[in-house]
Amino acid sequence: MNFKKLVGPIVLSSALILSACGNGEGDGDAATNGGNGYPDNGNETSEPVTLTMFHADLPQTDGFDNAVAQEITEKTGVQLDISYPVGGDDLEAIALMIGSGDFPDLIFGKGGINQLIDSGAVQPLDDLIEERGDNLKAMYGDQLDRLRNNLEDPQIYHVGTGGVENQYLETSGTMMLQLGVLRDLDYPEISTLEDYEDALVQFLEENPTNENGEEWIPMSLSGSDWRWLITVGNPAGFVAGFQDDGQWQVDEETGETTYKFQKDEFKEYFKWLNGMNAKGLLDPESFTHTHDTYISKLSSGRVLAIADQDWNIGAAEAALRSEGNEWGLWAPLPVTLNEDVQPMSTRDYGFTGTTGISISADSDNIEEAFDFLDWMASEEAQILTNWGVEGINYEIVDGQRVQLDEDRENAQTNTNYSFETGVGQYAYPFPQWGNGAEDSNGQSITRTTEEDVRTNFVDAEIETLDQYGANLWIDLFPAPEDLGIPNHGRAYEIPLPTDSQVNIVQQRADDYTTQKITEAILAAPENFDAIWDEMQEQLISFGVEEANEEMTNIVNNRIELWGEVE
Amino acid sequence: MESAKVIDIEKQGQIKARQKQMPKKKITWKLIKQQKLLIGMSIPFVIWLAIFAYTPLIGWIVAFQDYRPQNGFLGSDWVGFHHFRVLFNDSLFYTALRNTIGMGGLGLIFGTGTAISFALLLNELRFTRFKKMTQTISYLPHFVSWVVVANLVTTMLSNTGVVNNILQFLNFTDSPINFMARPDMFWGIVTAAEVWKSTGWNAIIYLAAMTSISQEMYEAAHVDGANRFQKMWHITLPSIKPIIIILMIMSIGNIINIGFERQMLLGNNIVADAAIVIEKYALDYGIGMFRYSFGTAIGIFKSVISIILIFTFNTIAKKTSDISIM
Repeated sequence: MNFKKLVGPIVLSSALILSACGNGEGDGDAATNGGNGYPDNGNETSEPVTLTMFHADLPQTDGFDNAVAQEITEKTGVQLDISYPVGGDDLEAIALMIGSGDFPDLIFGKGGINQLIDSGAVQPLDDLIEERGDNLKAMYGDQLDRLRNNLEDPQIYHVGTGGVENQYLETSGTMMLQLGVLRDLDYPEISTLEDYEDALVQFLEENPTNENGEEWIPMSLSGSDWRWLITVGNPAGFVAGFQDDGQWQVDEETGETTYKFQKDEFKEYFKWLNGMNAKGLLDPESFTHTHDTYISKLSSGRVLAIADQDWNIGAAEAALRSEGNEWGLWAPLPVTLNEDVQPMSTRDYGFTGTTGISISADSDNIEEAFDFLDWMASEEAQILTNWGVEGINYEIVDGQRVQLDEDRENAQTNTNYSFETGVGQYAYPFPQWGNGAEDSNGQSITRTTEEDVRTNFVDAEIETLDQYGANLWIDLFPAPEDLGIPNHGRAYEIPLPTDSQVNIVQQRADDYTTQKITEAILAAPENFDAIWDEMQEQLISFGVEEANEEMTNIVNNRIELWGEVE
Repeated sequence: MESAKVIDIEKQGQIKARQKQMPKKKITWKLIKQQKLLIGMSIPFVIWLAIFAYTPLIGWIVAFQDYRPQNGFLGSDWVGFHHFRVLFNDSLFYTALRNTIGMGGLGLIFGTGTAISFALLLNELRFTRFKKMTQTISYLPHFVSWVVVANLVTTMLSNTGVVNNILQFLNFTDSPINFMARPDMFWGIVTAAEVWKSTGWNAIIYLAAMTSISQEMYEAAHVDGANRFQKMWHITLPSIKPIIIILMIMSIGNIINIGFERQMLLGNNIVADAAIVIEKYALDYGIGMFRYSFGTAIGIFKSVISIILIFTFNTIAKKTSDISIM
């Protein structure tokens, strides 16, 4: 009797414990089910193979069930089960992955690729590319060597993303001014910070409030979280005429790399921001409001000047467009410290290829996964991922693809467009032919063409551009051909060696500088220099000099690796 | 008054007597048989504890290694106390420690203080319906996520927020105070938000303890001429003292485990120095950089501090009030 009473709880609790322990294996099984032994993708297999995938840059759930995804599954027999770093950063997610030893079939590891290679988690792809990677070979051509790991271990562990051929038709991340301001001032030429500020001041004198009697917010930044790096830190480099090397600044002659906030050129911009703040031209909440608040301010059309990336303000732009507030949008401007500095915003970095998708060495579906990636580099796949599905997103007129009007409208006003339709959703981080590439008909492989960019402009943009005698915004900037191609790609894309101290020092320095530079910007102008000098001393005590040295070596190794194999 | 004390002393006497008896009993087969049902019921939890609380402790050895997952526990190099030395040499760690203990301590003091006061006030309410409604409304914030709370707080405290509007309306200040940009106010804001969120919820357990106090004591006190405040001070509070102390002992160990969501959500780049806490530090500088061993070293440090805090407070409580959990 008593014994019977006992059995229940024990069995129940043991079952709970066992099921908790068994969870990991269960996931793995689900992932590998349906292999069916068809190594050939593209065959009409009855059951789709489910490949698990980690996507370091995905911001929200993607069920892989939109029209493009379904088409991919139909063509390849592959269904993706995509996970992403929920509420955390991608490196933490990868660290946990390595710690637990549980890897998805496909891994887009981004900055964690070296750790993955070091822990033996990812499969070398050289032989596979040689044997069955026809599409990949055709796509990368002689750039294939840019995928190689490093000088000691020159194997290929990932298929690089980011277009192999590039044509720059858009720019992002520069100083921007509201179209309405330019119109009111009769389209002045703005090329320096001084011009930029003068334009703001003059506009505000003439229009103290907007039509509804609300006060303007002259300039706003999103500086309360990591976006500080995007809207405060990076513009300083662009204005100083440097290319985007993340938190570094690379001397292209010598490869000498420096932590960027040690450079005096960067100081100039922050000093200017400090002045803006002192004059009351900077939103006092720039460093305290959340990103959501920032976007809602931008969406109201009251913010005149910003310095931000397109992907960061997409929601605000879509809101302004759907409200019909065309003059509330912002124009990217080639603003620099002074006339002698050339902006690098339209620079062609070449094929950088450092990040991309790897295949787990533990996967039971290595060949399926590889064939899938190879297919993604095919013409068919590139058209599908970039243009969408015929009849839904585009139609064929005279042998050419033409985007449907309703799709274009949807793309411009729906912030969830790529998730819902799948167009563009599976271009990055998969292999990409790139903006400049053409299909076998001679039509652009991506939708981004000069005509397309023009068609997407609202009337206000076209009118403004006409006034400046330009076709596209990039026409206001130097031509990419005049800016050269850097030998090292972009410093922030170089994965750091696993035993490196650079990332620790950099994290420490970043944490410190974001806070200290903010303090300097908000300080009284006479205190700015003192705070800046104090910061420089402190940076050296963190070991930034040693990190600079190590980083210089890393960059030079990269130049050697790429130069050697070319 | 006297009668209440007598009852109290009697009770304590009984408890002590029972405690003294306990170790005298020898463990015999008969005893085990007698209690087999109880033992059986506790076995699953012992197993649970062993698997989920003790087995992971084996992982502590990675703090003394240069751990790399691919080499495993046995293949990684031993580095002794290297990671602890790195930790204790990092000035940011001390900043994080200061903030953690500061905010943890404030949270504990004000969290407990307000919960007890609130429970005392609720307990005095005689109008049951109103009491129940107040209780329900006051514990609802407990279920609101910190993300939402942080947004509410930053909006209310912004330059154009309701707090600044009131202050300006009452002429306390001319220009709006940018609360979120003041490092000296950050601990206070975090504590206030926490108090708002948790007072109602934390009061429940004290309120429950108060309902078990014998009405006879209140009646006796009433006869002796005690007023409401005297009854609170001399009857209610002493009666729930054991609960207060036990809860304090249990939560003092967690003073260092305050998590980091509040600080991360409410913080910004201006107040970063006052907002970084140990767990955020461990995340950013430990696992976020693939430094498994370093992260573990921080974990060990935290556990050691927790154990020291618990034992210290337990001993103090035992010496001064004869109540303890160990």
